[in-house]
Amino acid sequence: MFQDYPIDGIFDEMFESTGRPRAHYAAVYERTRDIGSDFLQRRRKMADVAFRNQGITFTVYGDASGVERIFPFDLMPRIIPANEWDIIERGLVQRIAALNLFCNDIYHDQRILRERVIPPEMIYSAKFFRREMIGLSVPHDIYAHICGTDLIRDTKGQYLVLEDNCRTPSGVSYVLENREVLKRVFPNLFGSYRVRAIEDYPHNLLQCLKHVAPPGTDEPTVVVLTPGIFNSAYFEHSFLARQMGVELVEGRDLVVENNFVYMRTTAGLRRVDVIHRRIDDDFIDPLCFQPQSALGVAGLMNAYRCGNVALVNAPGTGIADDKAIYPYVPEMIRFYLSQEPILSNVPTFICSREDDRKYVLEHLHELVVKSTNEAGGYGMLMGHQSTQAQRDEFAGMIKEDPRNFVAQPVVQLSQHPSWIEDHYEGRRIDLRPYILSGEKTIVMPGGLTRVALRRGSLVVNSSQGGGSKDTWVLEDSAV
Amino acid sequence: MTELPLIEAQSFGASRAGKPMLSRVAELTYWMSLYVERAEHVARMILVNSNVLIDVGDIAPSLEQNLWRGLLRVLHVDKHPKAEEILATGQGLAHRLCHFLTFDVDNPNSLVSCLTRARENARSIRENISAEMWEQLNTLYWSITGSDAKTRFEESPQDIYQQIMTGSFLFQGLTDQTIPHGQSWLFSQLAKHLERCDLTCRIIETKFEILRAAEAELDEPLRNIHWMAVLRSCCSIEEFRRAYPGQMDPNQVVAFLILAHRFPRSISYSIRHAHEASTGIRATVNPQVAGQAERILARLRAQLENADPAEILTGNMSQLRTSNVQTYLRNVVGHVAVAGEAIQKAYFLR
Repeated sequence: MFQDYPIDGIFDEMFESTGRPRAHYAAVYERTRDIGSDFLQRRRKMADVAFRNQGITFTVYGDASGVERIFPFDLMPRIIPANEWDIIERGLVQRIAALNLFCNDIYHDQRILRERVIPPEMIYSAKFFRREMIGLSVPHDIYAHICGTDLIRDTKGQYLVLEDNCRTPSGVSYVLENREVLKRVFPNLFGSYRVRAIEDYPHNLLQCLKHVAPPGTDEPTVVVLTPGIFNSAYFEHSFLARQMGVELVEGRDLVVENNFVYMRTTAGLRRVDVIHRRIDDDFIDPLCFQPQSALGVAGLMNAYRCGNVALVNAPGTGIADDKAIYPYVPEMIRFYLSQEPILSNVPTFICSREDDRKYVLEHLHELVVKSTNEAGGYGMLMGHQSTQAQRDEFAGMIKEDPRNFVAQPVVQLSQHPSWIEDHYEGRRIDLRPYILSGEKTIVMPGGLTRVALRRGSLVVNSSQGGGSKDTWVLEDSAV
Repeated sequence: MTELPLIEAQSFGASRAGKPMLSRVAELTYWMSLYVERAEHVARMILVNSNVLIDVGDIAPSLEQNLWRGLLRVLHVDKHPKAEEILATGQGLAHRLCHFLTFDVDNPNSLVSCLTRARENARSIRENISAEMWEQLNTLYWSITGSDAKTRFEESPQDIYQQIMTGSFLFQGLTDQTIPHGQSWLFSQLAKHLERCDLTCRIIETKFEILRAAEAELDEPLRNIHWMAVLRSCCSIEEFRRAYPGQMDPNQVVAFLILAHRFPRSISYSIRHAHEASTGIRATVNPQVAGQAERILARLRAQLENADPAEILTGNMSQLRTSNVQTYLRNVVGHVAVAGEAIQKAYFLR
C-alpha cells in the first residue's frame, strides 16, 4: 500500500529520505503495510458512523448544504517520540509564561512598550487590544488560561511556532474523540506502543477553572458559556461541559444583579463563580462591547471588574495572538524571562514596517500573506499558488491598511501518510497542542494534528477541507 | 490495613438530581420528550391507517378520504394547504399523504419535523442527558433524514414506521435506565404523559366524527375494524382482548382507553403519571406550595380514578350520536393544555 509513495524533499513524519520507516513508526508501518483496502474501507466507515451517530460534527459557515459535517478523520496516527515532545513541552511552557506576562504588562505597567521592545503603535492599533482591561487585575495574573499553539515542521524537521491562539482555541474535543474512535475501530494498532494518555484533560481544565474562582467560594460553580447550537464549535462546548460535569449555559441563562452573576434555574437564581466563555470579547457584554449583541450578558464586565466572577480566558488576550505581535514573541521571552526561546518562530514580515512592506509587495508571488486578525484560513494569500489578479487585490489591501497584514515565506510543512482511496499518499500536517495555565502549567501530551486532505495543499483548516488524525506522544524513546 | 472511609449515604442522594436545573434545559428536555412521543404516535397512526385500508379493501373513496382526514385532524394539520391540495386531487392519496406525514418539513408534525426538533433539543442539552439517550435519538434522526431514507421508504414504508416506534421505545427505556430520576427525568415523564394523553383523547374523539359521517355505509364487521384500529393506534389491542375476550363493543373500547388505571396507554394512567411528575418537580423546587398545573392534574386524576363508566358513556353509542364521551374528552384535552401552559409559566425561561 506504500508503493509509489513520493517524498520529494519534504520532511516526512514516517519515512526517512531513504524511504526507510523511522524507528518510532516501524511497528505501525508493519501493521498497516499489508492491510487490504477492503479492511481499511470498513474501518473507515465504522469511524465515520461513530462520529455521525455521536454527533461529533462542526458547522461550516456560508454553506447552505448539509450545514453539519463530520470532521474527516484520518485513521493513520501521528507519532511523536518522547525526546521530541520534551522540547515541544518545554518550549510551550516557556512561551505561554511569556505571553501571560506580556498581557499583564500591557494592561498595567507597559514596561515592554516604554523600553521600546515593541512599538506602542502596534498595540494601540491592534484590533483585539481592550482599553477596558487597563488597570484591571485578573486572578493570579493569568490571562490565557487555555492556549492552543500551532506548530509546524520545516523541511529539516525542525518544529516552528506558526501562531498562538490565546482567545478561545477550539479543537480539543476532537483530540479526545479521535483517540476514543481510533481505540474503537483500530485497537490492535496501539499494540506495542506506550502512548501517553490524554483523558485527564477535562479534569485538568476544571482544576484550572476552579483555580481562578473568586476567593471564599469553597465549591465554585463553573459554567461553560456558548453562543448556542449554531456556533461552529458547539459540539466542543457541549462536550467540555459534559466531561467536566458542569452546566452549559447560553447568554440568556445568565443574569447580573448587584454585580454578581446568576443562572436562571427552575428553582430561581443560582450564583455562578467561573465562566469558561466560548464567546468572543466583542459579544460577552452588550453594555461594555458590541451593544447589539444578544449572545452575552449585560453587566458581566462589571461583575468581572468587581472580582465577583472569573472569565476564562480573560478579555483582551487577543493582543497576544495578533499576527503582527507574534513576531515579537521571541523578544518577549528574552525580555520577561531572560531566556532564549526554545521554539523558533517562522520569519515574518510586518507590513506596517516600511522596509518589510516594500519587500512583501515585491515578492508577493513567493510569500504567504495573512490578515492579522482572521482565523480559520480566511483572508489569506498563498503567493506561489495565486493568480495575478489575487496578488493585485492583496497588494491593494496591504497599501490601504498595512497594519492588518503580515507575510511569511512559504514553509513546506511536513507530510504524513494519509489513506486516500485505496493507498497511502503524503499529506501536509500541523500540530496544535493545548496548554493550560492554572496552579501549574500543563501541556496536553499530544494535541490536534490537522491534515490538509487536498493533494499539495498547505492549508489544514477544517473550514478549508482539512481533516485530523490521532496524535500519539510516546512514554519514552524506546519503542 | 487501612479502613475505608465511611461515605455518608446523603452524599450520593445529592448528586445531579438535587442540583438546580437551568430553566432553558428544563424546557428543552420537556419538548424533546414530547416530540419523541409524538413521533411514535405519528408512525403508529400512519401504519394502522394504511393497514385498515388494506383490510377493508375497496371502500368508498369518501371513506378513505375521511380516514386520512381524521389522522390529519388528530395532528392539527388537516387545514395545511399541502394536505388540502392532496385531498382535493385524490390521486395516489395514500402514498402522497404518507410522504407528507413522514418527510415534509413544511408539516410541523411530520416525522422528520418531530425528530429534527427532538434532536435539536437534545443537542442543546447533551450535558444533561446520557450519551446513550443522545446516540439513540441521533441514530433515529439519521434513520429518517439520511441519504437512504427515501429509498427505504419506497421499498418498505412499514419498516420505517416500525423502526421509529421501536426507536422511540428504546429512547424512553434509556431515559428510564440511564439518568437519575431527578428533575430532568421528571420533566421528560411529564411531557411524555401529557402528550400521550392528548393524542389518545384526540384519536378517540376523531374516530367518532368519522364514523358518524360514514354511518350509512357501515355494517357491523366494518365498524369493528374501525374500533380495532383505534385500539391499535393506541397500542392497546392486545391488552383489550385479554380484558374483554371476543368482544368489540365501542362502549367497552372507549371506557377501557379512558379508565384502565394500570394500563400505560390509558388516559387515566397518563394523567396519574403526569400528576406524579409535576408533584415530584415541585417538591425539588418549591416544596411549600402546589402549582397550578399540579392542582389541575390532581383534579383530573381524582375524577378519572373515581369515575363511573356509565357516567361517561351515557348517550347511545351504538347509534353514534354525539355522545357525552366527546364532551368528556374535549374537557380532558382542554385541562391538559392549561396544565402544559402552567408548567411553562412556572419553570421555563421567560
